[in-house]
Amino acid sequence: MSDVTQIELSNINKHYGSFHALKDINLSIPKGQFVALVGPSGCGKSTLLRSIAGLESISSGSMSIAGEVVNNLPPRKRDVAMVFQSYALYPHMTVLNNLTYSLRIKGANMKQANKAAEKIAKTIGLSDLLSRYPRELSGGQRQRVAMGRAIIRDPKAFLFDEPLSNLDASLRVHMRKEIRALHDRLGATSVYVTHDQIEAMTMADHVVVLCEGEIVQQGSPLDLYDTPANKFVAGFIGSPAMNFVDGVICEDGKSVQLNFDHPQKIALNRKLPAGQKVEAGMRPEHLTISNNAANLSAKIAMTEATGPITYYTTDTTPELTLIQQGRGTVSTGDEIGLTIKPEHIYLFDKDTGLVL
Amino acid sequence: MRALFSSLRDGKGFDISLIAIAMVFLILFSGAPLVYNAIMSFQEVDIFNLGTFIRPWVGLDNYRSLFADPSTLPIFWNTVVFVFSSIAGQFIVGFGLALFFTLKFPGAAYLRGLFLVSWVMPGLVVGAIWNWILSGDFGILNHFLKSVGFISENIFWRSDINYSLWAVIIANIWLGTAFNMILLSVGLAAIPRDVYEAAELDGATAIQRFRTITLPMMRATIGAVVSLGLIFTLQQFDLFAAITSGGPANSSNVAQYKAWEMSFREYDFARGATISVLMIVVVMIASVIYVRSTKQEVRG
Repeated sequence: MSDVTQIELSNINKHYGSFHALKDINLSIPKGQFVALVGPSGCGKSTLLRSIAGLESISSGSMSIAGEVVNNLPPRKRDVAMVFQSYALYPHMTVLNNLTYSLRIKGANMKQANKAAEKIAKTIGLSDLLSRYPRELSGGQRQRVAMGRAIIRDPKAFLFDEPLSNLDASLRVHMRKEIRALHDRLGATSVYVTHDQIEAMTMADHVVVLCEGEIVQQGSPLDLYDTPANKFVAGFIGSPAMNFVDGVICEDGKSVQLNFDHPQKIALNRKLPAGQKVEAGMRPEHLTISNNAANLSAKIAMTEATGPITYYTTDTTPELTLIQQGRGTVSTGDEIGLTIKPEHIYLFDKDTGLVL
Repeated sequence: MRALFSSLRDGKGFDISLIAIAMVFLILFSGAPLVYNAIMSFQEVDIFNLGTFIRPWVGLDNYRSLFADPSTLPIFWNTVVFVFSSIAGQFIVGFGLALFFTLKFPGAAYLRGLFLVSWVMPGLVVGAIWNWILSGDFGILNHFLKSVGFISENIFWRSDINYSLWAVIIANIWLGTAFNMILLSVGLAAIPRDVYEAAELDGATAIQRFRTITLPMMRATIGAVVSLGLIFTLQQFDLFAAITSGGPANSSNVAQYKAWEMSFREYDFARGATISVLMIVVVMIASVIYVRSTKQEVRG
């Protein structure tokens, strides 16, 4: 990774009629970085990606790729490659012709184009499939062809639009690694759109969280995990998700009353104005089950054992999700105590959702 | 008896009877007349033995005398010109309109629907309207061509032997364009949007996308449209009856109109049937192409 900026977005806005799809997007992507755009459906992440590709126009702002302003360039002149969710292979062409399409369009001679395609096919494991048509391929193979078609052009950036969402779970995990490995080998600059935060966390160097057309936070995956800027990011990143409980800061300002069906008080490591309404967030792995000197008490309502990890749900309202490594030490119906370190309690403003 | 009824109600008998109804209908009203027509082309038919089935067998005599007639070959040539020009015109204008209506502009759907008007109108009415448009003295077409300076003298479209066939072709192109447009629109709509986007990102210009994506992916549709066009054009009768009646001096006469003239004007049913048999052969070839092209549809 170098310091050279490959893609620079400044103050990008996009309106569809009265709908404000992208709001003041500022994003700078260094050459060689793998950036994930993540957010719930309708957050604008695909629109942003398609704007970079030039398939959508932007209403205002400036966009440059490798130092060149591309606002008014059509997609074919932007020199970026895109892998579509549906793969968008050319159904009437063989795998070989799918791979060589971009070269043939530019007037490269057939022999060289085919040679290049064979080389690419070897690196991504398509050599035996070159004469097949897309309809004769499995989902995973189509995915590879789509990637090969992007790689062969040696573009300035790779754009991925939820490329793994049509694959089954085990293949998805496998392709995740393969795409990341390919990115590293090519030294490429990649922008990857996904609604799956696990994909974003595991693949990307830099994660951009979008919500309702706005960037709510960006940073390295673990930064977002450890220091979420607001309740949305805290709840979106992490699986199982963070537990949230409504609360009020107590008279002393150094503890918070959590409004379970039976309110419980818990100490904080900082001082906040008494009476402030908050939402407290606690990650499942930070809640430890212990019977002595517990901060909270609850009863196990449900146990889900997966082997390496056991998940519990408490009978409190709102309920809490807990995890334990290995086989569980408690079981459904048990009364338990929970401890959590004060520094692991996240507090969010009840009205704005911002971290306190 | 009960077994027969229950089989008819919910067994194989039901399936067979459903097929049988359609088959009987087809054989009675399509197959039998076709065979009867073919047999008639090998017989001597006159006004006296018209009511009988058993007539003198003359082998290929009808075919020989048909081709010995000096008016036959020009009429077949007219048919070829009529079919190819009509299909070419209908296809090019229809494809152009279909592409135009893929653009999303306000009112596109209504405007496209308006084109179907030509489909709703009976051929004879279309012919009558085109008679006015093509009229030599007061026709709007001549007026238009003169205004823009293409011609200086009025063209007598329907009575000039150099133009009479083209008069019918122009009307037929207008008549068939909507059908071509609708079928081609459906074909265009079936091409996924993202395939075009992928091609655009791969560097293809609009013309390259049309040549490398649209045309190859439309092959099945184009095959179907052209072969159906061939069949419809060979059936076109009303326009000839309404506009030129095949005249003047057979200059706009075509096989299908000639067959009717032979049979129902000159009561030479044998030779009328002979022309029909030759046309059936052509239509059958077109049908095979049509069925094949719809079978080979390429869809990702």
